[in-house]
Amino acid sequence: MFTSVVISAISVALFWIAALTLWWQMHAWRTPETLASTRFDRPDGGDRLAFSLLLPARHEQAVLEHTIARLLESGHTDYEIIVIVGHDDPETAAVADRAAAGAPGRVRVVVDHNEAKNKPKALNTALPHCRGDIVGVFDAEDQVHPQLLSHVDHAFRATGADVVQGGVQLINFHSSWYSLRNCLEYFFWFRSRLHLHAEKGFIPLGGNTVFVRTEVLREAGGWDQNCLAEDCDLGVRLSSAGKKVVVAYDCDMVTREETPGSLMSLLKQRTRWNQGFLQVYRKKDWQRLPGRGQRWLARYTLMTPFMQAASGVIIPVNFAVAVFLDVPVGVAIITFLPLITAMVTFVFEIVGLHDFGRQYGLRVRFVHYLKLVVGGPFYQVMLAGAAIRAVWREQRGRNEWELTSHTGAHLETAPSGAAPSGAPIREDAHR
Amino acid sequence: MTATVPTATDPQPADATATGQLLPVRHLPGSRRPAGPDGTDGTGAGTGGGPGSSPSAPARPVVRFRSSRPDLLLCGVLLLVIVLVQGWNLTAFPALSDDEGTYLAQAWAVQQGEGLAHYTYWYDHPPLGWIQIAGLTWLPSLFVPDGMTVAPMRFSMLAVSAAGSVLIYVLARRLWLPRWAAGLAMGLFGLSPLSVVLQREIFLDNLAVVWMLLAFCLAASPSRHLWHHFASGLAAATAVLTKETMLVVLPALLVTMWRHSHRDTRKFAVTGAVTACALIGLSYPLYALLNNELLPGAGHVSLIDGITYQMSRPGSGFILDPGSGSNGVLRSWLYYDTVLPLGGLAGAVLLLAAHRWSVTARALAGPALAAVLLAVVAMRPSGYLPAMYVIQALPFLALVLAAAAAAVAHAVLRRHRGPGERRALVYARWALAGVLAASAAAYVLPRWYEGDRTALTADANGPYRQAAAWLGREVPDPANTRVLVDDALWLDAVHSGFAPGPGAIWFYKADLDPAVGKTLPRGWRDIDYVVSSPTVRRDAVDLPTVKAALEHSTAVAVFGTGEDRIEIRRTDRESGS
Repeated sequence: MFTSVVISAISVALFWIAALTLWWQMHAWRTPETLASTRFDRPDGGDRLAFSLLLPARHEQAVLEHTIARLLESGHTDYEIIVIVGHDDPETAAVADRAAAGAPGRVRVVVDHNEAKNKPKALNTALPHCRGDIVGVFDAEDQVHPQLLSHVDHAFRATGADVVQGGVQLINFHSSWYSLRNCLEYFFWFRSRLHLHAEKGFIPLGGNTVFVRTEVLREAGGWDQNCLAEDCDLGVRLSSAGKKVVVAYDCDMVTREETPGSLMSLLKQRTRWNQGFLQVYRKKDWQRLPGRGQRWLARYTLMTPFMQAASGVIIPVNFAVAVFLDVPVGVAIITFLPLITAMVTFVFEIVGLHDFGRQYGLRVRFVHYLKLVVGGPFYQVMLAGAAIRAVWREQRGRNEWELTSHTGAHLETAPSGAAPSGAPIREDAHR
Repeated sequence: MTATVPTATDPQPADATATGQLLPVRHLPGSRRPAGPDGTDGTGAGTGGGPGSSPSAPARPVVRFRSSRPDLLLCGVLLLVIVLVQGWNLTAFPALSDDEGTYLAQAWAVQQGEGLAHYTYWYDHPPLGWIQIAGLTWLPSLFVPDGMTVAPMRFSMLAVSAAGSVLIYVLARRLWLPRWAAGLAMGLFGLSPLSVVLQREIFLDNLAVVWMLLAFCLAASPSRHLWHHFASGLAAATAVLTKETMLVVLPALLVTMWRHSHRDTRKFAVTGAVTACALIGLSYPLYALLNNELLPGAGHVSLIDGITYQMSRPGSGFILDPGSGSNGVLRSWLYYDTVLPLGGLAGAVLLLAAHRWSVTARALAGPALAAVLLAVVAMRPSGYLPAMYVIQALPFLALVLAAAAAAVAHAVLRRHRGPGERRALVYARWALAGVLAASAAAYVLPRWYEGDRTALTADANGPYRQAAAWLGREVPDPANTRVLVDDALWLDAVHSGFAPGPGAIWFYKADLDPAVGKTLPRGWRDIDYVVSSPTVRRDAVDLPTVKAALEHSTAVAVFGTGEDRIEIRRTDRESGS
């Protein structure tokens, strides 16, 4: 009897957690009107705002040049690119200096002299140098659409937003089994879930293709340089201060990125994010959110990785208990509830992969759908591992930055179906 | 509850404007004019968050059903009439049927916590139907435990058909029928003598119909919400688990959802609905699996056996072959009403044929397809056609008949009408419409009046009532008396003190259920009474123990006369040989 009650309670709880997550994940496709509202409005042609685009780069000489060149193709009239390089990274600095010499006035280089380096410190270093009305953040490996700035310009003016979060999309789904899932995660997050957060007034911002009014950013004191998820932290602080955040996703306009080059670096990246989420949770800025619903959403969102980890462990155990222990049939059926939500999630992921392929003109083959489904449980294990590792590191006070390395896999223009072999795969830099 | 006001925008505006409309339902009273040529209402579709709306996802004008006074009024008045007509005299007509007794007795077993049936549950039907009946009758049976018998518990079906009627109205509005046509559909569904007779009875089909109507309403959700479509899949699965024959209607539901979803979100909506339906549907085989009763095996019942039995039931012949069992069933339906079955089917065929030209036909494609599919399945020469089969077709027949009427009305009143049409022509149009309406009414109303009058006044259950009363009054020691009864009387016997199962015995279990057979080592000699009803006499031919009990018994009380009489017979245990 006791076993039955415990199993049922756990199953029902897991069911609700999964159902709620699914509900939010599918936000953009709820109605055709919601989907339409996630896109950028067509710009009116008048570029009125000045942009300062921050481009922190660290040991990323392989991709930096391409990124700057791409940014320079922008159709907007008024912007500057500020490349931030470390004082101990001459290779990247050389690439940046060469770009600055090639486009004087457009490209500037700021050197970060902090001993221990991380992204928020780099960004804070550059903030005083920004001359534009809007600060935009990109990563060194980003492929930015030439029309993006004009759209963002229009979005700021049309909506009176303080922050515009553009879409970021991992593209190299064919590189490996985990990159497939990773790409899809981004698809659901930027295409759908973030819009829900913007609507509810609590939003953890993405790390790049994010645009903030310069004075708002300075007022907020820039980025928290001790936080491992400085983007999330900034979003939470700005949401709590009642700033208006607008999210826009347009498959033509998204910033294209690549997945981490190895499973290990993905694990480290996830660990960092999870640790960052924990830190943001503990900073308690979210408690200043005005609405009870918002605070619950914040609590839930920041805790999600850990619930994910827990359910990754509990679901199989629960299932095994139900099948192998002698419980009443009704109770056994209840234990299948979380499995049902998992199945529904799988199905929506399959449809999402199809939609992803359609929108980005990528050929998704049967084998990819197969990988998506078969890889699901393993990816879940990886996520759970990252969550556990995050808690463990946070407990031990190890909160230094584990950088995610990039290889340029997304720069392959022809989707060949095979992982690019020419680019060197490096491990994350540990400092 | 919401309903669209009919609008000029088709779910797929592109093909509507491209092909033109033969029978469009447009410019109806109360409809808002769409503002933009692309179908947007000009208010923007933004739901916050995004920087603005895009014109590619038209927002359809939506009114809340609950705040539309004329709709509420019409629906409310019709509901009142339907409940009155169906509720009046419902315990006395039609005759109590064996199936009603079966389902109610199993619902009683659920309420008593005895599992899914008081005999071994053998996967004859998915159990969700009588679990719902158990829920519906739970409260009244708490207050009047003895009232848990077929006749009084029919009142619970009143709630079911009331829900179904309202859903018909909502669905009609969501499929863009004008208000009067929605009212017509509701009236056809609730007041046809055929409906009145069948919807009063405790049949699983009646419950399944409500779930399927809910599924259609959700599939045609005016907000085209992903989770409405998902819920539609859940409701459809519930309908199938209530009565498995609802499977036939699923393609029609899919068509409705396809038509009424939006291109941009359809992929997610339709797969979501299909997944929901499949996952919930699979819970039935899962239940069997967990009980170790999925596959046939020695010493236990199984789902596969149940399905095999249902599929191998002897066919009742081709429906149009005079003399076949199916034809008899068809004639029994047509005896009560010809308008709804035949007119509805004709309307369905007409709408499917007019699919290319008519907005109405496209909007109603799902219900029309459902009616045709059900008809096709009923036409299988080898199939078994049960009398209650028509129940699941009734709502679709009513809808398509009303839609056909709306299409004809539109053709007469508005087709080829220019802005400056001569007054005489306008009068002529209205006169023609009036003549058509009057002749339809003149044909239908007298027949329906007669049929419904019978339902409201006839008493077909007198013998049953008297037999039940006799059992309760005249048998001295019911707890130790064994009686064979048909399912309709079983609960009466139980409430009179006979032991459920071994004391009050479903007559055929004496021969067909080994567990019951074991309690009757001396065959008919272990039985004290047989209540010989028409069903018992009909089926006894194939049931040796029952047959022997009938032969070795004498009537101690007879109620009614002729074919329908009910005899209570005491077995001649001492003198029999």
